[in-house]
Amino acid sequence: MKTKTSLMIIIGIFLIGSMSLTAQTEISATEIMQKVSDRPDGDEMEGTLTMTLINSRGGERVREIRQYIKDFGTVEKKIMFFLKPADIKNTSFMNWSYDDANKNDDQWIYLPALKKVKRISSDSSGDYFMGSDFTYDDLGDRKVGDDTHTLLRTETIEGLECYVVESVTKDEDYMYSKTITWVVKDRWYGLKKEFYDEDEDFLKSLTLLNVEQINGFWIITGTEMKNEQKDHMTRMEFNGVKVDAGISDSKFSERMMKRGL
Amino acid sequence: MERFIQKLTQYPKLILLITVLITVAFFQTMKSNARMETNLDEYMPDEHPAFVYSDEAESWFNIKDGIIIAIENPDGIYNTETLQKIKDLTKRLQKFEEIEKVDVTSLYTADNIVGTEDGMDVKAFFKRVPSSEEKLQDLREKVKGNDMVYGKLVSTNETVSVIVARIGDDVFSQEFYQELLDLAHEFGESGKENVYIAGRPIVEGTMAVLGPADMKRMVPIVFLIIIIVLYALLRNFKSTFLILSVVSFSSIWAFGLMAAMGIPIYAVSTMIPVMLIAIGVAYGIHLYSHLHMFQLENPGTDRRTAVENMIKEMWNPVLMAAITTAVGFISLLTSQVYPIKYFGAFSAFGVLVAFALSILVIPAGILLFGLPKVKQKSGGKDQGSKVEDFAHRSADFFIRNKKQTYMATAVVILLSIIGISRVWIDSSFLEKFEKDSDIVLTDKFINQNFGGTSTLNVVLEGDQPDKFKEPDALRALVKMQDDVENSLAIVGGSFSMADFLKRMNKVMNADDEAFNIIPDDQELIAQYLLLYEMSGDPENLWQVVTDDFRKVNLTFQLKSDNSKALNSAIDIVEEYRDDFSALGIEVNYAGSGYKALVFTDLILEGQVSSLLMSLVIVIILLGVIFKNYKLGFIGAIPIVTTTFISFGVMGLLNIPLSSTTALISSIAIGIGIDYAVHFIDRYRIYAVETQDRKLAIRQTMFHSGRAIVFNAIVVIAGFMVLLASVFPPNRILGGLISLNMLTSFIGTLTVMAIALYYSKIFITKGEEK
Repeated sequence: MKTKTSLMIIIGIFLIGSMSLTAQTEISATEIMQKVSDRPDGDEMEGTLTMTLINSRGGERVREIRQYIKDFGTVEKKIMFFLKPADIKNTSFMNWSYDDANKNDDQWIYLPALKKVKRISSDSSGDYFMGSDFTYDDLGDRKVGDDTHTLLRTETIEGLECYVVESVTKDEDYMYSKTITWVVKDRWYGLKKEFYDEDEDFLKSLTLLNVEQINGFWIITGTEMKNEQKDHMTRMEFNGVKVDAGISDSKFSERMMKRGL
Repeated sequence: MERFIQKLTQYPKLILLITVLITVAFFQTMKSNARMETNLDEYMPDEHPAFVYSDEAESWFNIKDGIIIAIENPDGIYNTETLQKIKDLTKRLQKFEEIEKVDVTSLYTADNIVGTEDGMDVKAFFKRVPSSEEKLQDLREKVKGNDMVYGKLVSTNETVSVIVARIGDDVFSQEFYQELLDLAHEFGESGKENVYIAGRPIVEGTMAVLGPADMKRMVPIVFLIIIIVLYALLRNFKSTFLILSVVSFSSIWAFGLMAAMGIPIYAVSTMIPVMLIAIGVAYGIHLYSHLHMFQLENPGTDRRTAVENMIKEMWNPVLMAAITTAVGFISLLTSQVYPIKYFGAFSAFGVLVAFALSILVIPAGILLFGLPKVKQKSGGKDQGSKVEDFAHRSADFFIRNKKQTYMATAVVILLSIIGISRVWIDSSFLEKFEKDSDIVLTDKFINQNFGGTSTLNVVLEGDQPDKFKEPDALRALVKMQDDVENSLAIVGGSFSMADFLKRMNKVMNADDEAFNIIPDDQELIAQYLLLYEMSGDPENLWQVVTDDFRKVNLTFQLKSDNSKALNSAIDIVEEYRDDFSALGIEVNYAGSGYKALVFTDLILEGQVSSLLMSLVIVIILLGVIFKNYKLGFIGAIPIVTTTFISFGVMGLLNIPLSSTTALISSIAIGIGIDYAVHFIDRYRIYAVETQDRKLAIRQTMFHSGRAIVFNAIVVIAGFMVLLASVFPPNRILGGLISLNMLTSFIGTLTVMAIALYYSKIFITKGEEK
């Protein structure tokens, strides 16, 4: 009886302790995710993307892409020119992504061998981007209000204090049942993220490889996504990144797609 | 050795006690450790180059066997209920632990590549099940317009749609199989739809269930018949009991040892008790037959004298028979196939156990429980002397009709050779089932509506990456693919990387049928492929090409899984080998159907070589045992005739060779040697003693001949029961074993007896009395 009582007291102290910790930080999971979403990263960005696809046997495919992104307020426009491999050089791809959730992305592709710009449309943002392990959705911003967020705990990783936030989707048909994000305190970018599929099975893990401060912004320049179910991995590395260095509005047009770099 | 046996038998209780204890111990091990191996891939030798390649290719392209679930609605599938079922069933299959989500293909998961005015679209056919008539019609048009789906996932008469769930080699279990059947049943129960389930894993699963289940039902009946017939012949309950105990114990010991050594029970292992029953019964019968003779000649003899005489006279031939039989089985160790090696090794072990137990337990039993009663010869004609008379008369008859017997044998052998030339090998699983069984009917139904339930994978491997972006390489692929598909009625469909490219080329050119070809420009091909990766699900692409574009996987759908069908497709592919070689492309094959084909060839190759080897060994052994090489050849007569007739009958009756039917020839060796050894040994004793070959052959015919006939009758009667089996391979097994027993005994008592008689071996005095 006595031991039981003292045990209760200890548990009680712990509970109060952890509650006061939460109270101290005074930040809710939703607020954390809002801060991540709101983290300023400039309106314009250009750079060279090296995308490495690694299959389960360790075979690598490397693509080099010159990429320009510009935020026009209600629409974010992105244009990409393939540099390597040689047989797809000058192939270009343009994507306009709208803030309006009901509006699908507009996508165009220019195949130099066909000398035509073609619109492509695909079903959903759940499609994988260029055969990588990233979906279009993984690359874009997800609205904070689409998920219910819970702060699980805090953890220190590589000397950085992180909030561990679980985000459960409100939409039953969404491809991820939940994600867990390790958000670096005060910097508001994710250090890693785990994705769970519709059946709540562990699907993918995203790891931050490199982050740089450019023009005063924290810019993520290296990430790795591993699909645990397919044992397939994609590494994305940005080089020569310039932020807000000035990109002309007319860069994002079919004419530019044809013209190339 | 004899003195040792005699000494041991002075402790009959101890012998029985130890035997029972060991048997119980083995039985326990067997019960707790034995496991059935139903995964057929476990049978294949991993190191064989064809299997190594196929396994690698399977991992490159994620080649797996497909479980095919067909949903039929006689009114057509384009209605909300049926489509909902397709969606639900797809999702349920994806939830199975044994099935990877991406490995389920149905109208619900398939991508539709379509051309639009200004581009290309890759979309699902439907996500939400369409409910309005307009949307249903729209879906119908979409399916009709896509060659990659129309006729492949939806039948051209629009009443059937299939869901294909591909599974790995290592996940199939009895529970999984049952769950799948239950699932199909559940969806087929309500509504208008009929749900069928087929595909190689299901066929294998059904076979793994049906074969042993049938055996479980039939074996007790076989055993019962053997008991009854044995009892009818021996007229003694104790003798019957002892003989059958020995046979059962030897099987338990063999399986117990297997379990103790951690070796699983394979399908062919179930042949071990079959062999041991057929062979083991013989040892006991020969012992009792001798005892019977001794009691006839020495009325009122006591147990000990009778048993001592039985051991003295019989231990040697029984041991020789056992050793030669065991050597015959051991020759199977040369096989490349592990289950067959194990079959050989443990059958040999079982035979030696059967020998040891026969020579120890039967005497011990007689000493403890008493001699069987024998009706003594009285002045009148009793049964014993009737049998003796008959034996003598038959001996005389065969000797008189030497030429006719030889001629008859020659004719039979000649007919057998004709039969043998017609023997064909079959690796088919489906053809093992009844023509009107559910599984065959379902298969037929799906084959009528779709490309085919069986597949052959042709793997083309280029000498450098990006080989299969080259138009020349792709065109050669298309040419071969079209040739195979168009020339063979049995090939109902095919699928390769070329189909993707042709469709994209067409779609990117305003759906113009003229562009349904491989483009001329390698860069365009590369860009199409990038486009597909960007807009579709590249998983589908990686099933037909590796991501370095060096290797492609061409899948042919066949409407039959038999070896003839596979070989006819392979023959055409082979015609293109040189063309591909000139382009720096190697041709190989993969997939379970192909592996089964190679595997069957391997088994037969092994069977033929081990058969020949054991024949040579047996001839030498017999020659050494009887100190006369001629006797080696004479002793081989029953084996040779039995083997010829066995294969000949298979050819004439169109029974294909398969792993089990090929093994039945082992029984010819086991039984043939036994008969020959006993007969020759007995003849030797009488001939040396009397120096009268006529008398000797007559006596041998009575002494050994009687035992041989008893043995043959008992085993034939027992295995004929299998003819009533519901599983065709078991029927064939029963029939062929009975046939082998029959020809072995006839061969021994006719041709071999005559050859022995005319060889005049053992007759040392110049002329007969």
